[in-house]
Amino acid sequence: MKGSGRRVKANVAVLLGGRSVEHEISVISAVQAINCLDTEKYEIYPVYIAKDCSMYYGECLRDIASYRDIPAMLAKCEPVYFLSEGGKTYLYPHKRKFFGKPKPVALIDVALPVVHGTNVEDGTTQGFLRAYNLPFAGCDVLASAVCMDKFATKMLLRAAGIPVLDCLLFSQAEAKGFGTIIKSVEEKFGYPVIVKPVNLGSSVGISRAKSGEELEEALSLAFTFAERVLVEPAVQNLREVNCAVLGDADEAIPSECEEPVATDEILSYADKYLEGGQKSGGSKGMASLKRKIPAEISPELKKNIQDAAVKAFKCLGCEGVVRIDFLTDRETGEFWLNELNTIPGSLAFYLWEPIGIKYPELLDRLISLALKRHRKQSEIVYSFDTNILASAGAFGSKGSKGNR
Amino acid sequence: MRLFLQCILCAAAVVAYVFVVLKTMHMFQLNSYKAATHARWLRANLRLLIPSLLFLILCSLGFFISNLAVLAAAFAALCVVAVLFYMPVKKAKKPLVFTARVNRMLVTCGVLLAAVICLALLVPIKLEVLMLSLFCAASPFVVMLANLINAPIEAAVRQYYINDAKKILRGCPNLTVIGITGSYGKTSVKYFLTTLLRAKYNVLMTPESYNTPMGVVKTIRGELRPTHEIFVCEMGAKYGGDIKELCDIVHPAHGIITSIGEQHLETFKTIDTIIKTKMELADAVDGKGVVFLNGESELIRANLPRGERRIYGLSPECDVYAFDIKVTPSGTKFSICDRGRVYRDFQTRLIGEHNVVNLVGAMAMAAFLGVPYDDMRVQLMKISPPPHRLELIKKGGVLIIDDAYNSNPKGCEAALKALALFDGFKILVTPGMVELGQKQYELNREFGAKAAGVCDFVILVGERQAKPIYDGLTSAGYDESKIYVAVSLDDAMAKAYSIEAGGQKVILLENDLPDNY
Repeated sequence: MKGSGRRVKANVAVLLGGRSVEHEISVISAVQAINCLDTEKYEIYPVYIAKDCSMYYGECLRDIASYRDIPAMLAKCEPVYFLSEGGKTYLYPHKRKFFGKPKPVALIDVALPVVHGTNVEDGTTQGFLRAYNLPFAGCDVLASAVCMDKFATKMLLRAAGIPVLDCLLFSQAEAKGFGTIIKSVEEKFGYPVIVKPVNLGSSVGISRAKSGEELEEALSLAFTFAERVLVEPAVQNLREVNCAVLGDADEAIPSECEEPVATDEILSYADKYLEGGQKSGGSKGMASLKRKIPAEISPELKKNIQDAAVKAFKCLGCEGVVRIDFLTDRETGEFWLNELNTIPGSLAFYLWEPIGIKYPELLDRLISLALKRHRKQSEIVYSFDTNILASAGAFGSKGSKGNR
Repeated sequence: MRLFLQCILCAAAVVAYVFVVLKTMHMFQLNSYKAATHARWLRANLRLLIPSLLFLILCSLGFFISNLAVLAAAFAALCVVAVLFYMPVKKAKKPLVFTARVNRMLVTCGVLLAAVICLALLVPIKLEVLMLSLFCAASPFVVMLANLINAPIEAAVRQYYINDAKKILRGCPNLTVIGITGSYGKTSVKYFLTTLLRAKYNVLMTPESYNTPMGVVKTIRGELRPTHEIFVCEMGAKYGGDIKELCDIVHPAHGIITSIGEQHLETFKTIDTIIKTKMELADAVDGKGVVFLNGESELIRANLPRGERRIYGLSPECDVYAFDIKVTPSGTKFSICDRGRVYRDFQTRLIGEHNVVNLVGAMAMAAFLGVPYDDMRVQLMKISPPPHRLELIKKGGVLIIDDAYNSNPKGCEAALKALALFDGFKILVTPGMVELGQKQYELNREFGAKAAGVCDFVILVGERQAKPIYDGLTSAGYDESKIYVAVSLDDAMAKAYSIEAGGQKVILLENDLPDNY
């Protein structure tokens, strides 16, 4: 770089927000990421997905303080959309110019979705970006969708021989009378049980039931968040242990393990985000949650959990950084994989720092992985350069040379 | 009244001028803005100069016609004639594209027109008619004149684009540029190398045959992103200094010279210039990088450059060479020895010795850039031959080598060599080569003589067409009972299928001609 002209930077669109209950968490995670991306290498374009799904771009999106008054912030931002042109993807402003063609905000090289929850983390955003042929960090469509569905995840992991808790699945149609549900739960598991919506992260709608009455309450809460609800036995002497995995199908490495500390019987949404957030001015997110790093577990259990995490990551076709949450029994040392977070809060950077991977480097690796996947996908033949419909004979006319 | 008439005359001239200029501009564009090509085109379309001739006649007669009304009417009529001659084609295959360059030339044409009109309005009517006639007579050449006038501007624009591309490259300090040149095989090596490198890196290559300074500059300005790690740049040359010019733009870190031969000898003039020009790539990387050279090319072996170099090829004298080369029904299998270390079991769908040589060059470079040989096996599977270019097809129990697009003697020789490597009953199906000018008979005869040494059976398509090959075969003492002259390709293939081979049947389908031959 020494005096040799300005270095050309890669343009990174950081996607945040979204029509999800974890909208605000995403804002916190994304603003952290924006401030940690290496500005020597990357030009950062924050793209805010409002709760009504419209997209905005603006410099003020980098500052967490802006989000206190969202209407005022959006007034300072530019409504934008993605557009593919000549094999490249651009971010364009909605506003038309009086003269000439509209100028794009930027050519986007790679997208970094830092969005959590349904409608964004569940393969939706990933499919949207795929449709634009834009490289993006993190899991692809299928892995994102599977990991968002706790039941689908369990089925696949069980087939791969990774320990998961047994469960019962109920749909809203079956929920007309809770009686039958309660009966089958009591027959199969007894109490206490955990009730959770099948497709939400961040512990939203999850509760514990010790009796039929509590189960009914738990079910009604869970059904307000999802079409289908899971019931599984509560683990005795519960200790939660989380471990992140970084990489792709070729190579994946596990992070340090953490033990989130619950203030309630299970880690609630308030625990996960609100409490830590309030104490630190609302911008630390998952990183400031009460936790023990490293988790106080035996080296043997740690090794088993890390191995299971990497195995699950590869088995579900995950890519990028995924935080995998386990449930363990303090007494027996048994463990079960609970869920995979394909876009974890704060991108789980705090789990990588203890093993020597600083946040900017983590982000670098995520972007390289995104480009690598895109490169591999581009090598596969998806479309033929020749138009079959253009050839003579495609509509039954005679004399095409290729028909010999 | 006088001014009114003058304006009418000018308007007629303007209309004719616009038609002539747009049409000639269109043709000039199709002739790649090359004055020589355009002049050749004009000679072939002399009728387009008829209006000019008529304008000149009017101009000379004008001195003797005193009646202004007659003169003016004749001029206007001629303008209509010119418009009719230069009517645009209704549905042009490639319509005029208003590129920045065309627009700049049109501006110059417009300025010329404006100058003439201003002058014409100032002089008496009679002189005006004479002037406008002369101008209209010259109008088919105005585009070339504008091109000449604009030459310094175009050079400046070109320089601006080159400087911009250089600036972009300077802004990507972590980008490694690989230059590839050679008389033959550079496009193949470019594709192979790019595919192999993609095992590990984000690679940009110059698309199709964008191998001129402007093509490379266009690739850099339009496609190069900071996310790219390696830029594979094909470098074409027709004149001495062409490769140096490209190297001065992209500054390759390393290079590959795929072959040196007589390609473009007419522009290079001497073979020495060709050698010197290709070696400009070696000069450019000398002192900072490594140049990879095809050791199978005699002219390269005889002119090895100084500096760090690696020779690749098929013989053990090379630094990197392929050995144990075997053709199988699914392609070619080979092993590689890179400076003493052996890597086995490489499999490709490509066949033909030249393809293996090109693969070795690409693999040697990819390994040098950090792609492990073991990771190349998967990438090799992604390389397939272009359709109808030594494409190996399994059809029932029969193997067909489809080389239908090939039509030059060198390619035919390579195809015969590829066929020779197969075990089994070898059948050649060909109508022979065409469009070779005076040498056509001789080259086809030679092809026949060479085929005699390889093929177990030869099927020639079309009696008249096949004569020289037939002569070549018999001159080499080939058994005439093993030659069949077919009336059509269908007949030929039917015959090929019906022959009792008593083993694996391999059919080389060489240069299948379209129906008009």
